[in-house]
Amino acid sequence: MNTENELDEISAVARTMHAGWSSDSLLPRIQRAIARQERPQPSWHAWQVAAAAAILIALATLGWYAQRRVQEHDFNRAILQRTALDDVERAERSHVAAIGQLETLAGPKLEQSQSPLMVSYKEKLMLLDDAIAECQAGIRMNRQNAHLRRQLLSIYSEKQRTLQDVLREEAHENR
Amino acid sequence: MAIALTVQLPRVETFSVSDLDLARRCADGDPAAFESIYHAHAERMKSIAYHHLGNVADAEDAVQESFLKIHRAASTYTGEAAFSTWLYRILVNTCYDAMRRRRRRPQEAPIDDMITLTRAASNVDDAKRLMLARLLRELPEQRRTVFVLFEIEGFSHAEIAAIAGISEANSKWILFSTKKQLQEKWKHEH
Repeated sequence: MNTENELDEISAVARTMHAGWSSDSLLPRIQRAIARQERPQPSWHAWQVAAAAAILIALATLGWYAQRRVQEHDFNRAILQRTALDDVERAERSHVAAIGQLETLAGPKLEQSQSPLMVSYKEKLMLLDDAIAECQAGIRMNRQNAHLRRQLLSIYSEKQRTLQDVLREEAHENR
Repeated sequence: MAIALTVQLPRVETFSVSDLDLARRCADGDPAAFESIYHAHAERMKSIAYHHLGNVADAEDAVQESFLKIHRAASTYTGEAAFSTWLYRILVNTCYDAMRRRRRRPQEAPIDDMITLTRAASNVDDAKRLMLARLLRELPEQRRTVFVLFEIEGFSHAEIAAIAGISEANSKWILFSTKKQLQEKWKHEH
């Protein structure tokens, strides 16, 4: 058989190969599938709504809890700060009272003595009092200013040391 | 299931209503429009799907899936191509998807209906038909589509070009080279 004949034969055989079979159930099957496709799916929709609601509730609860934690934290912090400040101020007051006692002892000596050393102590103490007044004014404006409080403490310590020096000097002179 | 091999070649139906109108009615869920599409094309669609997938069950599944896609997408049909071309394009793509799925899961390939075909056939040409059907299954998908549409289903090259998304000249060339390829094997089988 030559090439042309073979090609013609293939075409001829192919033309008889249209496949047909009876399938009465196919159209109803397709129609049912289309009906299923068209039907709204309430369960899925309900699931979507429920999931969205659950997520919203979870987010709201989380937000409320976080806010509460922040508020609690702020409250605790404020309490702690206030307590700490009270402690510091109490310590300051006792420190000032102790220094006041030293001042009472050293005051008359400073007034009476005309020695250059005592005069310089007196001037130093006046400078320290001015610095203390300035710091206290600053602290009154902002009680939580730790820097001013540390500065005030160091000035008080310096004043305490100066008064002690005055008293020591006086004892030395009396000997 | 017995498959009758017929010599008659159905031609693409011409509707009295416009393609756009038909598509719109189909999208609107008009059962009469849908049934008219089914009755006009289902037989040919089943045959095309059968020659791509090799068995009745898969062919019917592909036709069903195609009709579902057609129903879903009917509202997007713009009328640029003939409605029938659009419909067969959906079918061919559905068959390709099924073939690819089958290649990924070869163990799920269904039993071939060729046994049924053999029983249904009764004349001397049956052996040749069976041989050609077997050779067709060995062809790459695009070659198989062009051969099936032109030689078995009687589409024109212009129609095949629109369905397969190729040029008319390419369709002719693919058919020619496919037939040459088949001829080589045909010679050896004889």
